[in-house]
Amino acid sequence: MLFVGAVIVLSLLVVALLAPLLAPYDPRLPVGPSLTSPSGDHPLGTNILGQDILSRVIWGARSSLVVALGSTALAISVGALVGMSSGLIGGTADSIAMRVVDICMALPRVPLLVLVAALVGPNRLTLVLLIGFVFFAAPARIFRSQILSVRHRGFVTSAKGFGGGVLYLVRRHLAPAIGPILMSVSVAILGNTVLFAATLAFLGLADPTDVSWGLMLNSALATPGLYFTSAWTWLVLPAGFAITLAVLGFAFLGVGLEPYVNPRWQRSRAS
Amino acid sequence: MRSSIADQVGYADSTTLRGDVDGHLGDQFPVVPGGEVEAPLRKPRRNSRRSLFASYAITVLALVCLNFFLPRVLPGDPISALIDSASPSYVQSEELRAELEAYYGLDRPLVAQFGDYVGDLATGDLGTSIRYNRPVAELVWERLPWTLLLITTAMILAAVMGWLAGAHSGWRRGRPVDSGLLVVFMGLRSFPGFFLASIALFIFAVQADLVPLSGAQTPFASMGALERVGDIAHHLVLPAFVMALPFAGGQYHLMRASVVTELGADHLELGRAKGLRNRRLKYRYAARNALLPVVTLAAIHFSGAVTTEAIVIETVFAYPGMGRLLFDAVPFRDYPTLQACFLVLGLVVVTGNLLADLLYRRLDPRTRT
Repeated sequence: MLFVGAVIVLSLLVVALLAPLLAPYDPRLPVGPSLTSPSGDHPLGTNILGQDILSRVIWGARSSLVVALGSTALAISVGALVGMSSGLIGGTADSIAMRVVDICMALPRVPLLVLVAALVGPNRLTLVLLIGFVFFAAPARIFRSQILSVRHRGFVTSAKGFGGGVLYLVRRHLAPAIGPILMSVSVAILGNTVLFAATLAFLGLADPTDVSWGLMLNSALATPGLYFTSAWTWLVLPAGFAITLAVLGFAFLGVGLEPYVNPRWQRSRAS
Repeated sequence: MRSSIADQVGYADSTTLRGDVDGHLGDQFPVVPGGEVEAPLRKPRRNSRRSLFASYAITVLALVCLNFFLPRVLPGDPISALIDSASPSYVQSEELRAELEAYYGLDRPLVAQFGDYVGDLATGDLGTSIRYNRPVAELVWERLPWTLLLITTAMILAAVMGWLAGAHSGWRRGRPVDSGLLVVFMGLRSFPGFFLASIALFIFAVQADLVPLSGAQTPFASMGALERVGDIAHHLVLPAFVMALPFAGGQYHLMRASVVTELGADHLELGRAKGLRNRRLKYRYAARNALLPVVTLAAIHFSGAVTTEAIVIETVFAYPGMGRLLFDAVPFRDYPTLQACFLVLGLVVVTGNLLADLLYRRLDPRTRT
């Protein structure tokens, strides 16, 4: 599992990084006749504008990963900040923060993003900010509960008893306790943000000049008579499978990392 | 490899996020390793029914406030959409803008506007759609039943599919059937809904011509009541099934994990000793104990379906529900409709969660304390 996931995610990264070298054509320019079927010149055919599908899939990896990485980094850092400080401070501040987190979880995500994106205009930056905001609640709860579970353990109280300051405690004891969980939460959120960004793009909420998998499907389904020509196979399948593969890669990676993250499971495995 | 997948997923399911984009990831999150046993945690004050209602009331209030303040705080407002030359409803001139602002009451103090807004909401006035030039409330009333029909059917399908497959898989833990089903359901959860929908549409509606391509009923056809029901069901089956698949994955994992923990339990041994048939043991003894979490998960999925899947599936199948209404409103910058969709879908989610909480209390006396 870990291996398969790692291979998929790493190859995605490589494709995203080397997109300009790997892609045979410029993904934005019409480089062939409209809607040609897959051939030697265009391995995955062309779309209605005559753009090369393979090149668009390759460049799509880049934009998908940029949005996913950006929004996950944002969600995790905001979530960690809110969750950890709320767990450390406790009291009324904690109750209020968790109330807000609960409300954020109960908000209908896609309608909210549709509304906001329609108001501010969707471009890559606003999408990263929005998706990051929408996903911060779950990590906030996880980090808070992790802090709460560690805060009163023997090694922390004794370190405190020896006069360890808050910063020292965070650095020596709390941060290491957060580390593994941070990794698994990040992987899980990465998979979700890939899918979420693709969904938004599919609904038309993306910079229309961007090259992304979701947008490819959006324009594919807008192609008149799509289902009645064989063009369906090369307009819909490549981008769809690219999204699926990316999501699956992160899912496998998450499951594969489980034993390293969850000590309880390690114990049960050893016995 | 086989046993390791089998062992992991029941567990993995608790710490990995669900592979789709539903709104309630938090509910999927597990107790973190180490547990909260040692920490003197204050229990979330959700115990009394009054505080349950209070917490939902706060969420509703937050929804209403967001709905009111978002368009006013963010750059780009409905009026500038009218003035922006890229907008389909392009209106040129600053004087007109002032006039429009006065017309819509946007020049008044914010508090007064908020009062008006809440007053309008209380009387069921959601504004007038820019695109259709009709009261939005009317549109919502037309569309909402379709969405609810679609989602409810899908959730029932998902629960039944997941329950049956999960029970079977757990019962045959580690066998080829089990690993096969595990891989299938895990894969299904990774497919984006719109991709799955498009594939299903192509195979079942175009190639096999089994179901209609789009819509919720045959338009302009006059038919009897029974025929009408059949027609609606005929249109419903494919979108509901496609919507159910990813959720069935969640139900499957839950069911499988709980049947696995039941294996070898005393009451099963006794049943076997009594000579009960395998099928009866599997479904009536082992699988039955997991019904309660299945109901809960269905409720959690319901909120996810309302906020994401419904919009996507309705878009692909041109199903005339709330999601399609929302989707169609985007290119027209039909703000009143967008806002109403946000509010109504939010209210549906909140109401669904509240009902689930109440139902759960009834089903499980331990949560009542």
